Amino acid sequence: MAESTKDKIKYRILKALDVSGFTAFDPVIRLIFGEEPQKQFAAIVKYLVIPTIFVLSCIWLWSWFGPRHKTKSGEVPTPDIVWESVKINDTIADREKVKKSDFLLSGSEREAALEEVVRDYAILTEQVDAAKALVAEKETEKANRVARLIAPLDEKYESLKDEYKETAKARDAEIARISKEVSEGKTEAAVLIAAIRNDSVATDLERAELSVIKTQIDEIRSQKYKPLDQARKEYDSVADKQFFMKTRLEFLDDRNLYVKLDEAQSELKEYMTELSTAGSAKDALKIAKRAVRAEESAARLEGQEYASAVTIYHQTKRSIFTVFVGFFMAAFVAIPVGIMCGLNKIFMACMTPIISIFKPVSPVVWLLIFQIVVGAFFPDPENHALLNFLNNLPLVSSLEINPALIFSACTVAMCAVWPALVNTALGVASIDQDHVNVARVLRLGFWSRLFKIVIPSALPLVFAGLRISLGVGWMVLIAAEALSSSDGLGKFVWDEYQNGSSLTFANIIMVCFVVGIIGFFLDRMMIILQRFVSFDGGGTSV
Amino acid sequence: MAYLEMDNVSIGFGPPSNRTEVLKDINLSVEENEFVAVIGFSGSGKSTLMSLLSGLQRPDKGEVRLHGSIVENPGPSLGIMFQNYSLLPWLTVFGNIELAVRQVFPGFTKAQVKEHVERYVEMVSLTPALEKNPHELSGGMRQRVSLARTLAMQPEVLLLDEPLSALDALTRAVLQDEIIRIWEEDKRTVVMITNDVDEATLMADRIVPLTLGPEATLAEPFPVTMERPRDRANLNKNPDFMKLKNSVTRFMVGMNKDAKDLKVDSSIKMPDIIPYDFTPPKRASVKVR
Repeated sequence: MAESTKDKIKYRILKALDVSGFTAFDPVIRLIFGEEPQKQFAAIVKYLVIPTIFVLSCIWLWSWFGPRHKTKSGEVPTPDIVWESVKINDTIADREKVKKSDFLLSGSEREAALEEVVRDYAILTEQVDAAKALVAEKETEKANRVARLIAPLDEKYESLKDEYKETAKARDAEIARISKEVSEGKTEAAVLIAAIRNDSVATDLERAELSVIKTQIDEIRSQKYKPLDQARKEYDSVADKQFFMKTRLEFLDDRNLYVKLDEAQSELKEYMTELSTAGSAKDALKIAKRAVRAEESAARLEGQEYASAVTIYHQTKRSIFTVFVGFFMAAFVAIPVGIMCGLNKIFMACMTPIISIFKPVSPVVWLLIFQIVVGAFFPDPENHALLNFLNNLPLVSSLEINPALIFSACTVAMCAVWPALVNTALGVASIDQDHVNVARVLRLGFWSRLFKIVIPSALPLVFAGLRISLGVGWMVLIAAEALSSSDGLGKFVWDEYQNGSSLTFANIIMVCFVVGIIGFFLDRMMIILQRFVSFDGGGTSV
Repeated sequence: MAYLEMDNVSIGFGPPSNRTEVLKDINLSVEENEFVAVIGFSGSGKSTLMSLLSGLQRPDKGEVRLHGSIVENPGPSLGIMFQNYSLLPWLTVFGNIELAVRQVFPGFTKAQVKEHVERYVEMVSLTPALEKNPHELSGGMRQRVSLARTLAMQPEVLLLDEPLSALDALTRAVLQDEIIRIWEEDKRTVVMITNDVDEATLMADRIVPLTLGPEATLAEPFPVTMERPRDRANLNKNPDFMKLKNSVTRFMVGMNKDAKDLKVDSSIKMPDIIPYDFTPPKRASVKVR
């Protein structure tokens, strides 16, 4: 039975879905290829539509509960605010790119760009003024509205206050009268006490009533006025753009690399001409010294790079890099040691106490230890040979490797080493006796037994261990970065938490999703690798 | 001196206080190019016997000898074919056999290895499955790969540990014929373990029953004198075959009964009653003249 190319494509896609663990999309592919539509529709409803509805309802719950929970850092952001902060972070990254290119522009290109930016800036300034006016207008509108709403309440409040003042006065007079009578022996003391008690109860009641009205007034004052918010938002966004244009102007003009270079050069030239016409030896020496200094600063400018602000993309890249450095360190130790543990019971017995004691230790403790231990190897990070070497490698150089990255990676490695080690040991130790017998009958030597029988048979478990290790490593990394201030997603969250801007909370939740999604893809990657080395064709758990 | 010998071999398991003797005083001598079938019930220690013969296990007492020298370690000269295939699942059919061939014939060039492997794969008619992984094959095919691997090592003695027990009747028949054909093609000594009397009678030169464990030992062998090639189709009409088969079966079943009798009999004695015979007396045949 010959398969058509269409079928071949279909089965290839299905196989890919199977290997990558996205089997839920299986019916979609089958439906596209027109296989039993009814059955596929049923499967799509069961395994795609219902889960999607569930996830959407979770998002709805979030957006419903979010604004109802007031915290010190403001309301819990709703999904759309988080999405907004994603966009803002993206814009920041884009702008950094533009600024960098502005910084490096020269000649006619620079002039053209400058002209354009000046024009944009003028337009934006107009827009900002308009927006400002609109905000002011809306503010008065809101104030009027609030005043209108508050007026009757205020009136009521004042009149009540006056009334209560009167009644309080009357009660005081009454008490004074009774106390006088008591002192004269006309009335019993109990009456006076009752009168005082009544007075305090009545005062409390009056106060409570007044405060109810006060709260009502405050509520009206704090009520949101949508048009005003809208106008403010508009103003913010335009003002933000205007500010960006202003920065661009700077980078195209005064702060531009070539402008600065030209300045330095012209300065140098000036000194040179001055030097040639210098009157006295003393002057000549002074000018020459200045010229040398100008030369030096020009040379320094030449090698200057744009000092980019850290963007979320940079942080993410650096985090992924760090986790892989740590992961490979862990794998590099765990696999050989695990194999030795699996092969030799004595070695296993030696390692067991070490594994059992150090496995449960918190990453935070490891981080502190590594910070001290690894830090000692880098007394002068700026001039360290290894760091300089790493920072001159083509792909890695942009990540700015520093000791903080190295000990974050070490922490990741320390926490990620255990699952891989234990699983490798288990895989090697639980090798099928039949396979050992084959090796014995064939009289395989130690190394060929290791590489032809032991390792291949342990490989699926080794990869299962590595998968857990990478997951643990990724989880540990964020905490390690936050604590060690190694640039990365962890530091990003920590900085957000410390800085406290209006976007803080939304940014933190955004990082939560970024970390989650990257973790998901790392795990998927490991699943696929695991599937490739597993020889029984069995699936791996999700 | 016999070719392959077991001399008063005993083996047991467990600590001295609670020791189970699996095999006791086993004596077996196999001549060169002889096909011996060891037959026994499951759990009687057949596989242990095979492990001892192949050198995978050392006996507690006694010796296993191959041309007079003691077998201390397993090796390719005692080619054992395991009961549960023992194929390496991460290698293809070719890879599994290649591993064995490279190890046994280290002098082979790459082309020679390939040719050698392909010859044996063809011998078990698996050429189309050469590049398949074991888990893609059926039980019978795996069994044949295992056989090909063992044969490709060109062992002096072929030890078959219930090679066909996991197969359905049809595949089994095919593989039996195949083993006999291969054995007849390049003669070598074979010891096969089985629990199937038919199989033993069809294939072997000699059938050695293993008594029931624990402390199992080998009973008096039954020589199979039928002419080769033995035709499976006509076997059931062959009186020699039927007679031998019946006597082996009777011996085996009787042994089982003996074993049962040895146990404490807890059954209730039934009164010895002869039922009344209602059949009418046979009519005397009347001859009509």
